[in-house]
Amino acid sequence: MSDEIAVGIDLGTSNSCVSMVLDGMAQIVPNEWGERIHASVVSFLEDGSVLVGNEAKRNIITNSEFTVYSTKRLIGRYFFSDEVKKAQAVMPYEIVEGPNNGVRVKARGQEYAVSEVSALVLKEMKAVAERYVGVEVKKAVVTVPAFFNDNQRQATKDAGRIAGLDVLRIINEPTAAALAYGLGGVENQRAAIYDLGGGTFDVSILEIGDEGVFEVLSTAGDTYLGGDDFDDRIMNYLADIFQEQYNLDLRQNKYCLQVLKEASEQAKIDVGRYGKAEVYVEGICQAEDGQALDLVATLDEETFNGMVMDLVQRTFKVCDEALQAARLTANEIDAVVLVGGPTRLPVVSTSVGHYFQTEPLSNVDPDEVVALGAAVQADALCRADAEHFLLDVTPLTLRIATVGGYTEPIIDKNSPIPVERTRSFTTSRDGQDKVRIKVMQGESSREEECEMLGQFEFSGFRIGYRGEVTIEVTFEIDTNGIVNVTAADAETGQRTTTRLTLSSGLSEEDIEESRKRTEETELASRAA
Amino acid sequence: MHDQQFEVELEVIAGLIDDLDYFQVLKIEQDATPGQIKAAYYRESRSLHPDKFFSAESEELKNNALKVYKRVTEAYMVLKDHQKRAKYLADINGPDRASKLRFSEESEREQKQGKEEEPGKTAPARQSYRQAVLQMHDGQWDKARRSLKTALMYEPDNELFRSKLEECQERLAEGSR
Repeated sequence: MSDEIAVGIDLGTSNSCVSMVLDGMAQIVPNEWGERIHASVVSFLEDGSVLVGNEAKRNIITNSEFTVYSTKRLIGRYFFSDEVKKAQAVMPYEIVEGPNNGVRVKARGQEYAVSEVSALVLKEMKAVAERYVGVEVKKAVVTVPAFFNDNQRQATKDAGRIAGLDVLRIINEPTAAALAYGLGGVENQRAAIYDLGGGTFDVSILEIGDEGVFEVLSTAGDTYLGGDDFDDRIMNYLADIFQEQYNLDLRQNKYCLQVLKEASEQAKIDVGRYGKAEVYVEGICQAEDGQALDLVATLDEETFNGMVMDLVQRTFKVCDEALQAARLTANEIDAVVLVGGPTRLPVVSTSVGHYFQTEPLSNVDPDEVVALGAAVQADALCRADAEHFLLDVTPLTLRIATVGGYTEPIIDKNSPIPVERTRSFTTSRDGQDKVRIKVMQGESSREEECEMLGQFEFSGFRIGYRGEVTIEVTFEIDTNGIVNVTAADAETGQRTTTRLTLSSGLSEEDIEESRKRTEETELASRAA
Repeated sequence: MHDQQFEVELEVIAGLIDDLDYFQVLKIEQDATPGQIKAAYYRESRSLHPDKFFSAESEELKNNALKVYKRVTEAYMVLKDHQKRAKYLADINGPDRASKLRFSEESEREQKQGKEEEPGKTAPARQSYRQAVLQMHDGQWDKARRSLKTALMYEPDNELFRSKLEECQERLAEGSR
């Protein structure tokens, strides 16, 4: 059992990466083309198979309607959420409403749950690892942004199950990165992990004690801020230039928009690497008279930095929040670790250095560090004795709805996990046989400003006069950061029946059905 | 990997967990320093963290460890916070110890109420009141009276301010006699 292979998977907004420990060393597993980073893109092909990864990314332009990307922005969200509305406006693929306010992606006449699309990315990662070691891989540790709420974590875990993986643990990306750096050694070192990904920003403040204890003191994040926002700025800059020149708005056409997006992403990389980007896209669109028009522009570093400085500043607001929660100041941080592709940009790394008054560490590739950490954790869980312990925290306050649209906190954010809290509820009507509790996460006392996790209905307790029956509800946040709710009759200790009556999640049947379908779906790149 | 003695001890502690206070759970004294609290949390994490029991065969062992460890994190969460710790200490050393071994929402509410009983609900009133206390201490009754009147302007219903003002007026009346 313990000699089975468990991998670590970084399931990113833009890119994913798989790693495993071989001969005591965590290493990135490349695919047969030597690629170590794989685009989190799934292209549904005509023959029913799917193409996943960098090859699929090329299809965003040629097979745009059926090529799905950035699903991490949609995972675990409600259909009515702002993020989903925003995605509907810009994504070339079709996003539709599923059962329970859930989100579905429609491709070639078939509807897929978001977890199912993510599962296809995980399936590809699993296949890459299997090809490399020649045996079946069944177990994995999957990472999520530290600031992910329960719905998003649950949906990620479901994605793992749909992909046929036993998800040993969901761990936070910044914590995984700290593990990969093997920080510690120096006693009671304090580290900040600055994780700017494609779609999310997270910062975690850790204290690394002796004997391998990684204590997360606090975490903060913004799930609406990432490298994609940098691309958006460049897109607008380029589109404005083009519009001035030809009086045509590239943003109005989904095809042009995709080409523009790709050009912008490349410009961002170039300006970061060379200090200047020459943008040249031949025939990006046609003039009314049929003449093909080219997009030609130059972007220098100064212009770029000016464009994105407010985004960088926004990350420091989040850092302020994390430091404050940890009761530390920026200069008390001993080490800063950069995670995520956008931290390669000098404007980001330099600003981070200024903010923390220390040169950030960057000796591990910021695109690979999270997967490496996940592999270290996967390996530790499979071996009998773990040598390090991740003492993580919950990023959001767990709340219950009270009356009149208000909420009450149950477990504060930044509480160490696993943790549980018990609350007593008394019946309010004679003969009451059900108690309903709405559970949510967020920092607002107003219900509508928090994220709804679910409505639980308890039954099967004694029936009595009002105020006579007390049930004790236990709220638990486990090591994955996932919330569990159970209840018992306070007097008899008898467990009540718990039913989840409202949730965005998938039912067991949905998961099983998706799992079967995913198992049957062929990965086009592996077909040969 | 885990010897039998450890398993037996863990079972005993898991059975007793609802009778232990947070200091007992972390195996520390009630006057432990913040450093000692953290060290105890790390020590207990090393022996009880769920990762350590991930591949354990015995479900019972896993459950016992998790049960005790969840209480360890709960204890740490309360004891690392100055205010919560002070309130908790008063709780467990009071007459209702048995029912207050876990920091409940009740304790939290009482702790918050305690905060509200601070002199004054508004910042300017509190500031004027603090000034008045110092002035009274120095025997500057006239100045203190003015400060208290200012404080009462912000919070006309504050009993404490009112009683202090009366005290000042008495003193001033005494002085002029």
